[in-house]
Amino acid sequence: MAASALALATPGVALAANNHNSSASSKTANAKNSGTTKAAKAGGSRASAKEAKSAKAGSGSSKAQLQAKSKRAAVADSASPARPARKTARTAAPIQEASGAEARLIGVYELFGRGKTREALAKAQTLVRDHPNFQLAQLVYGDLLAAQVPPSNAMPDTAGIARLRGNPAMVELHEESRRRLQALRERPPAGTVPSQFLTLSTRSRFAIAVDASRSRLYLFENADKGMKLVADYYISVGKSGTDKAVEGDARTPLGVYYITSSLDPRSLKDFYGAGALPINYPNPYDVRRGKTGSGIWLHGTPPQQFARAPLASDGCVVMANPDLKQLLRKVQIGATPVVTARSLQWISQPQAEKEEKKFADSITAWKDARASGNEAQLKKFYLPDFQRASRKPVDADSVLRDELTYAQGKRVQIKDVSYLHWRDTEDTMVATFGEVFEGEKNGRTRRQYWLRQAGEWKLFHEEILG
Amino acid sequence: MPKSPRPRARFSFSPTVRALLLAVAACGTALPALAATEHEDVDRLMQAGKLDEAMTKAEAFLKDKPRDPQMRFLKGVIQLDTGKRTEAIAAFTQLTQDAPELPEPFNNLAVIYASQNQFDKARNALESAIRTNPSYATAQENLGDVYARLASQAYSKALQLDQNNTAVQPKLAVIRTLFTAPPAAGSKGGSTLVASATTTPAPAPAAKPAPAPAPAPVAKAPAPAPVPAPAPVAKAPPAPAPAPVAPPVKVAAAPAPAAKTPEPAPAPAPAAAPASTAEIESVVRGWASAWASQDMDRYLAAYGSDFVPAGGQSRKAWEEDRRARIVGKSSISVNLENLAIKVDGQTATARFRQVYRADNLNIASRKTLELQRSGNQWHIRKESVGG
Repeated sequence: MAASALALATPGVALAANNHNSSASSKTANAKNSGTTKAAKAGGSRASAKEAKSAKAGSGSSKAQLQAKSKRAAVADSASPARPARKTARTAAPIQEASGAEARLIGVYELFGRGKTREALAKAQTLVRDHPNFQLAQLVYGDLLAAQVPPSNAMPDTAGIARLRGNPAMVELHEESRRRLQALRERPPAGTVPSQFLTLSTRSRFAIAVDASRSRLYLFENADKGMKLVADYYISVGKSGTDKAVEGDARTPLGVYYITSSLDPRSLKDFYGAGALPINYPNPYDVRRGKTGSGIWLHGTPPQQFARAPLASDGCVVMANPDLKQLLRKVQIGATPVVTARSLQWISQPQAEKEEKKFADSITAWKDARASGNEAQLKKFYLPDFQRASRKPVDADSVLRDELTYAQGKRVQIKDVSYLHWRDTEDTMVATFGEVFEGEKNGRTRRQYWLRQAGEWKLFHEEILG
Repeated sequence: MPKSPRPRARFSFSPTVRALLLAVAACGTALPALAATEHEDVDRLMQAGKLDEAMTKAEAFLKDKPRDPQMRFLKGVIQLDTGKRTEAIAAFTQLTQDAPELPEPFNNLAVIYASQNQFDKARNALESAIRTNPSYATAQENLGDVYARLASQAYSKALQLDQNNTAVQPKLAVIRTLFTAPPAAGSKGGSTLVASATTTPAPAPAAKPAPAPAPAPVAKAPAPAPVPAPAPVAKAPPAPAPAPVAPPVKVAAAPAPAAKTPEPAPAPAPAAAPASTAEIESVVRGWASAWASQDMDRYLAAYGSDFVPAGGQSRKAWEEDRRARIVGKSSISVNLENLAIKVDGQTATARFRQVYRADNLNIASRKTLELQRSGNQWHIRKESVGG
C-alpha cells in the first residue's frame, strides 16, 4: 500500500537530503534573493523561504540518491559527500521564485524524506486546504494519509485505495511529480543562459525559456549586467509532445518566438485561466519549412485544476494561474522572447558573447555591403527566396534596390541588438536591432531571419517593425 | 502525540480524571456502589434496546449528580443511538472539555463526525483520544479507518473523480461505556469506583505473552510500520501504536474485565508478541465493522480460503446465505464485548460477546473466531457460537 508514497517520496528524499549538506551555502544564496522578488512572496507562507531554500539542490550526488532504495539509504548517502554537495550548491542557480504552492509541496516531500511524517502530513493538509485543486498535492496528501493506516486495518478502504492508485491517471501525476523534482534538483548552473540567448537588448527586460523535458519555464531578467534567472515554473506542453509540424497535431512548437499580445482573461473562456500570451508561431522559419497551425499561447488553467499533466495541452504552454499572473506582470508585448526547446542547453555568458561576436560579423558585413552600393556584393547575403513581410510579398531584387537607395553612402549605427540562435537540422538566427543614420534620432527596427548555408549566413526573411 | 506510551501513564488516571472520579464517589454519599449499579442498569437497558427507559434513568441520575462523567457519557451514547446527533455531539464535546483525559468521548465524537463526512474533524478527535491514551485500540482502529477514508478522498481529488462515487461511509466503532466503568456487580463496594477505574494495575499476569506495551518495542518492531518509513523513529503514532493497544479496549466494554486486563507490567515481554494481539483485535473489529456496514467484500475477505462453514454448507452457499442475511438490512450494529484474544504462533483465538442488532433484531451471543496467519494477514478459519 505504501508503494505510492515511497515512489513519490524517494526523489523527495534525495532532494531533501541534498539540501542538508548545502544548507549553509544555500542560506546565503537565498538571502541574496530574498532581498528582491522573494521577499514579498515569502510573506505568503511562513515556511516558504525555508522551503525554497531546501528545494534548491546541488546535483552532485542526486543520481546516487535517486537510486537509493530506502530512505535510510538515501539519508546515509547524503551524509558522506557533504563537501561536494556544498560545492555544487554554490554553482547551481537557486530556485528563486517557484510558485508558493510548489515550494510548499517540496517542503512536504522534504519533511517526509527526513522522516517527519507528522509534520509532512500537517503541511500537506494545509496545502490542499489552500489549493484544493492542486491534484499532485492531493496525491501526496493521500499517500501520507494512507501511510498512517496501520496494516492491520487491512479491511476498511484499502480496496478502494488500491483501486484509486491503480487509476491510469495516477501515472500522469507521478510523472508531474518526477518532473517537478527533477527540475528542482537539476538547476541551471549559475551564470549560464540557454544557448539560444546570444545577446538580448535591454529593451527586452525579460526573456522566457521553456524546457519541455523538464516541464519547466525559466524566466530571466535582462539588466545591464546581463541575464539573470529570476524564477521558474512548472508547465505543461502538448499531449503529443513537442516539435509541432501541422495544425491539430497537439504538439508544442520548438523554436524562438516572441510574445505578440496579452489576451484579457475576461474575454477568454475559463479554460484559459488567468490569461493568455500568444506567441508568433509559426514564425518565418516555421513557415519556410511548411509548418502549420496557429493559436499557440502561454496560458493558465481552468478553475478546477491547479496544474495540468506534463503532456496535456493541444500545443500551448500551460501554467498554474498564480504563476501565470506573475509572468503577466513582466512580459512586454513584442519584446519578450520565448524559446521553446525540447531540452535547454546552458552556456556561460562569456561563451554566449563569443558566439554573438561571430554572428555580429555577418551583420556588419551585410551593413557594409549595403553602404558600399554594390548590388552584387549585397546580393550574396540574401537567399533567392528571401521575403520581406509587408502587405504584399516583396521579392528579393526590389528589396535590394530599396536597401541600396535607403542606405547608400550613409553611416548607420546598429543598436539594441538581440540575437536568438536556433539550431536543429539547420542553423538559424533571429536578429532584432534598430538602425539609426548618423545625425538622426530615429530609425527602423528590423527583425531578420538568417540561415547558415555552407558556413555563410544568409537572410531569408525580414520584418520591419517600425 | 508520538510520544511513546508509558505504561504508567497509560493505565493510571490523570489528576483531573481522578478528581472527577473521586467527586463521583463523594457525591455518591457513601454509596458509590449504588452509583455503579445505576450505571450498569442504564447500560443494560441500552443493550436491551430500551433506550427511552435508559434515558429516563440516566436523566434522573444526573439530576442528582450532574457532573458524573460516566452517566453523562452513557447519556451521550443513548442520544447517539436515538439519532440525536446534535445533542450527542454537545454531550461528548462537553465531556472532552471537562475530562480531557478521557479518550472515549473523543472517540465517539469522531464517530459522529465521520458519519457526517467530516473526516478532518473526526481525525482530530481521534488523535486527541489517542493522545490521552496511546493504547486505545478502538480509537486507533477508528483512526485508521478515518485515515483510509481521508486518503481515498484525497486520491479522488487528485484524480478529479466525483466524490460521491467513492463515498461509502466507514462505520466507526462507538465506545459504549467509559473505560472507567464500574466493574461487574458484586465487586466490593466502597472505593470500588476508584479502584475499578484503575482496574488495570491489578495483579498483572505478567507471565502471559501479554501485549506488553513497553516503549522499547517501538523501535524494535518495524513490523507494523505502515510505510517503509524513512526513520523508524518519527513514524508517528499509528505505527508504534497498534502494538500496545489491545488491552484497555476490552476493558472498556467489559463488565468483567478482570481476566483480561493485561498488564502494562513492563514485562520483559517478547517484542513481537504484542503486535499479534493488537493485529487480531483489529482483524476481528474490522470483520465486525464490515458486517455492520454491510460491506460484503470486506466481510467475506476476512474469512480465509480454508474457512469451512458450519453445518456442512459449501463455501459458496454460505457466502450467498450471508449476503442474503446481511445486505439490505436498514441498519446493522455489531458490538463486541469482553473480547479475549489468545495468540499461539500462526493461529489465534478470539472470544467475545457479540451484540448484534439489525432492524428489530437484538441478539447477544458468545462467539469464538479462530484465526490463522498467512503471510502478513490473519484470516478467520473457523467461526463458532457459544463457548
